[in-house]
Amino acid sequence: MTEYEHVTEDVEALVEDRDIPRRLKLRIYDTIEEREGVSPAQADEIAQAVEARYLDTRVDPLDPVGTVSAQSIGEPGTQMTMNTFHYAGVAEIDVTQGLPRLIELVDARKTPDTPMMTVYLEGEYATERERAHEVVWSMEATKILALGDVSTNVADMVVQIDLNEDTLMERWPTVDNVDTVAQEIAETIEDALGVKTRRSGTVVEFGPEAPSYRRLLQLVEELRDIVFKGIEDITRVVIRKEENDETGDEEFVLYTEGSAFGDVLPIEGVDASRTTSNNIHEIHRNLGIEAAREAIINETMNTLREQGLDDVNVRHLMLVADIMTNRGEIESIGRHGISGSKDSVLARAAFEVTVNHLLDAAIHGEEDDLDGVIENVIVGKPIAIGTGDVDLRMGSIEASADDETDAAAPEPSDD
Amino acid sequence: MVDVSQHTLVPEHTLLEEEEVEEMLDEYDVKRTNLPKIKRTDPAAPDGVETGDVVKIVRDSRTTDTAVTYRLVIE
Repeated sequence: MTEYEHVTEDVEALVEDRDIPRRLKLRIYDTIEEREGVSPAQADEIAQAVEARYLDTRVDPLDPVGTVSAQSIGEPGTQMTMNTFHYAGVAEIDVTQGLPRLIELVDARKTPDTPMMTVYLEGEYATERERAHEVVWSMEATKILALGDVSTNVADMVVQIDLNEDTLMERWPTVDNVDTVAQEIAETIEDALGVKTRRSGTVVEFGPEAPSYRRLLQLVEELRDIVFKGIEDITRVVIRKEENDETGDEEFVLYTEGSAFGDVLPIEGVDASRTTSNNIHEIHRNLGIEAAREAIINETMNTLREQGLDDVNVRHLMLVADIMTNRGEIESIGRHGISGSKDSVLARAAFEVTVNHLLDAAIHGEEDDLDGVIENVIVGKPIAIGTGDVDLRMGSIEASADDETDAAAPEPSDD
Repeated sequence: MVDVSQHTLVPEHTLLEEEEVEEMLDEYDVKRTNLPKIKRTDPAAPDGVETGDVVKIVRDSRTTDTAVTYRLVIE
């Protein structure tokens, strides 16, 4: 062979003869090349072993893999808890688990019931608590009540905020002047509420343009909702010290209640290569369809594992994830997604909302080609899967001498 | 900007030359449109991909060391 120095023609013929795909043949050649040649007997042994292993791991033709996956996930699913909330692991954050979480994943809900992120840190942010806290403060939504006391003076029609100096210094670690922070807060209030503020030191005051009791209370309400620092969707951050799986070192890891994956990745100190969210749509938006596929597999597998059902083969979950991401975006399994976009009327009608599908089909004069499984079960024909899709024909073949083994191959069947 | 390709969830994406595409379609005996799809605007798609291109993806597989798959670029 031209590109392989150590692969002789004998060896090549032996390998080419085997029933294995091109890429495996090439890998055999590469391996032989690396070993600087093998004898034809050895090559035959290698090729035979590869072929045996390949045929062993291959799914049989016409095997209903989808149905097998559905059953394999469905059965353990019956043992799952209906219980929605659970404190996951040791981090004291509420996450939906069990069956509701699994349903949420295959339904591809836009936002999970309990969005959360696992944020890994890099460099000294991961090793020093102070630095890790800097990241926490730039993520956690900080509202006015966390920064100081708010009092409403009805007589003078003013809202007075007494900012806590220590808290300000703690939450704005990069600014070394309390005045600057207080000024920033005052400006944020002016922008958000459209009022003028007066500030002396850490005390900020403001009131309605014209004296109005209702407007005053309304301002206080709105003030409580302003996010002064951090990301609005992230309501709480828990910081934990964990062992890094790869290096074995201890590092700080942040768990967040609420998710804003796209906003968190660019934050300084965040390790943008390991941080994840449990919102598969955010993963899809920021990292693409392949990452979404990985995330679906991870999330479904973890949900099963949490319930002690991790003996479900990961291949079933990979199939589900493959199908959900097949068209380049995340599709749900249910009637608004994969099942609902089937060509066959009967297949759709058999899944959910039977009458609607039959009615629509009747109105539009739809036809059904009866190609799928479910349609044929309904009409009572053999299904096109497994032995149902194999036709046997009686007849005789004239066998030549060297063809003998091939001609004898079709085994007797009960059909 | 964050470098998406560095994330552990993102496998390696490479744009396939037309010649390689034909070879691959031949090997698996499939049509281009039978391939799974990837959006042209996908954050992980290689720079400069056009609709109709084929992207080769080398995943870290859970069942073997690496698994190769292909996606057709769509609008």
